[in-house]
Amino acid sequence: MTWADSLRTAWAGMWSSKLRALLTMLGVIIGVAAVITLVAIGNGASQAVASRIETLGTNVLFVTPGPGTPFTTRQVAYIRDNTPVARVVVPLLNSGGQLSVGTSTLSALVVGTTPGYQALGAIHLAAGRFLAPADLALNRDAVVLGANVSQALFGGGNPVGAHVSLLGQRFTVVGVLQPVGQGPGTSQDNSVFIPLPVAQFLLSTQKLSAVLVGASSPLAASQAQDLLTNLYTNRFGSASSVTVASEDQVLATLSATRATFTNLLAGTALISLVVGGIGIMNIMLVSVTERTREIGVRRAVGAVPEDVVLQFLLEAMVLSLTGGALGVGAGLVMVRLAPVFLKTPAVFTPSAVVLAFVFSTLVGLVFGLYPAVKASRLHPIDALRHSG
Amino acid sequence: MIRVERLVKDYPMAGGTVRALHDVSFEIPTGSLAAIMGQSGSGKTTLLNLLAGLDGPTSGRYWLNGRDVSGFGVVDWSRERNRTIGFVFQAFNLLPTLSALGNVELPLVYRRVPPRQRRERAQAVLEAMGLAHRAHHRPTELSGGQQQRVAIARALVGDPPLLLADEPTGNLDAETGDEILNLLAALNGQGRTIVIVTHSPEVAARCRMVLQMRDGRLLPTAGGVGA
Ligand SMILES: Nc1ncnc2c1ncn2[C@@H]1O[C@H](COP(=O)(O)OP(=O)(O)OP(=O)(O)O)[C@@H](O)[C@H]1O
Ligand SMILES: [Mg+2]
Repeated sequence: MTWADSLRTAWAGMWSSKLRALLTMLGVIIGVAAVITLVAIGNGASQAVASRIETLGTNVLFVTPGPGTPFTTRQVAYIRDNTPVARVVVPLLNSGGQLSVGTSTLSALVVGTTPGYQALGAIHLAAGRFLAPADLALNRDAVVLGANVSQALFGGGNPVGAHVSLLGQRFTVVGVLQPVGQGPGTSQDNSVFIPLPVAQFLLSTQKLSAVLVGASSPLAASQAQDLLTNLYTNRFGSASSVTVASEDQVLATLSATRATFTNLLAGTALISLVVGGIGIMNIMLVSVTERTREIGVRRAVGAVPEDVVLQFLLEAMVLSLTGGALGVGAGLVMVRLAPVFLKTPAVFTPSAVVLAFVFSTLVGLVFGLYPAVKASRLHPIDALRHSG
Repeated sequence: MIRVERLVKDYPMAGGTVRALHDVSFEIPTGSLAAIMGQSGSGKTTLLNLLAGLDGPTSGRYWLNGRDVSGFGVVDWSRERNRTIGFVFQAFNLLPTLSALGNVELPLVYRRVPPRQRRERAQAVLEAMGLAHRAHHRPTELSGGQQQRVAIARALVGDPPLLLADEPTGNLDAETGDEILNLLAALNGQGRTIVIVTHSPEVAARCRMVLQMRDGRLLPTAGGVGA
């Protein structure tokens, strides 16, 4: 039997019992979808944080809420009132989002903030202006584009005054940033900035991702850090409910978090691999038993044991690879939905698809081998005598 | 064509072994139309399975087409069945998921004949069986006689010199059975060696050679070479 024949047989077998095949593949589908979504959320989270800290100067502190800590726009005034050494206090709400103009779309980091952001010193305009107080006061749908975003959507042209759709809303481009280019902070090139109240409304949240505190010197920054740490520890009772950290500190924490996240992902992938594989092995063993007579007939007309191995192994592979493909599809849908329902940025990476492909191939091979070999070891006469 | 010497087959059972064949020896020349007869349980199916290499003997020797095949392994036998033996089962044994055409094609699939050629060949054999109009039907959509003709077509599609049939008419009414037998006789007329297991004296009467079995032994008969 040739590969093409075996593949056709395997495909026909799966197609003839679609529901059973789907249930069998469910483990792989969920596993692959989970991996793709988690990778995307992990990327989104680290990019969103990295984009701020790599862009801003050394005298900037990050005040970020721990999980469950109420942290709304009111914190801006609270920090400003209690930290006299602070030069600027700027709220941030980060998310991922799809931008589109006509038929071209692009996913970008969406930053809801105030005009004060410009005073942190990392904004260099190529055209137009940054967000203005009036944009916030009037809840205008105004957007400032990072250099790559502008390049991708408008080519070399000047987009100021043009419209883009973002988070289901039509925005007017008011400014474009210069490229950061090489080195740290390049993720600003993939960001877009919109007025904070508009972002809060569209993402339907009052919570902030962070408040940035700019001081005029490293000494002032350090003083502000001590002050704010005490303030929040007293207020919420725990040092981890609100984190106050400088750029270096956040970077160190971030790489530790990334490592944890990677381990978590590896664990998830491994568990779903095993669960999905067991599902496939189980159904393949059932299939071998059900089709014992068929195996006998095939052997009687000239199939050699390798033909039988190939047939059942390919069937397991078809199941796992189809499951993998459906899982990638489900993962892509979830990556799109994550920013809407989970309020977390999610950035899709093509390498996750490669990972999923490799992982489902392995599952099919490893867990399909035993049933296939078992089928090929059947003696023709015993297989033919099998009742049912 | 077929020569066996002192063929013994034991089935190991919980309470000791069952000897299904005792020292069976005979020879069937090329071009014969031979019948194997005997009561139920006399060992006919056991013998036919050994001749097709579907099962191995406990002891004894076997020459097929002048070659000693006693030491054949599973792969050798798969190849041999694919090329030189057509087997017709009492229970048809068609694959229910495949059409008549798909079933007939099967031996050619394992002979790695390209799809177009094997389709044409299978279609031609089905046509010769008078089943051209049923080529795309599943076995469950065919009558018993039609199913048996599909099974015979499958046994013939690879043009094997030897055809082994285990009660090919056992599941059919007398008239359809006669039809099948006429078909087999015609195939024998074309020079093929045919061995039929049967209970029917009428069938045996049409065969030039009759092997009579009782309790796993071959009885000396007029037609047979005897034990
Ligand atoms: N797998 C087996 N295990 C144990 N004993 C077996 C097995 N197959 C057959 N036998 C025994 O071997 C003997 C011969 O059986 P066989 O099937 O060859 O008979 P048969 O002549 O084909 O009978 P029938 O005309 O009913 O088909 C019987 O006594 C049977 O019980
Ligand atoms: Mg029998």
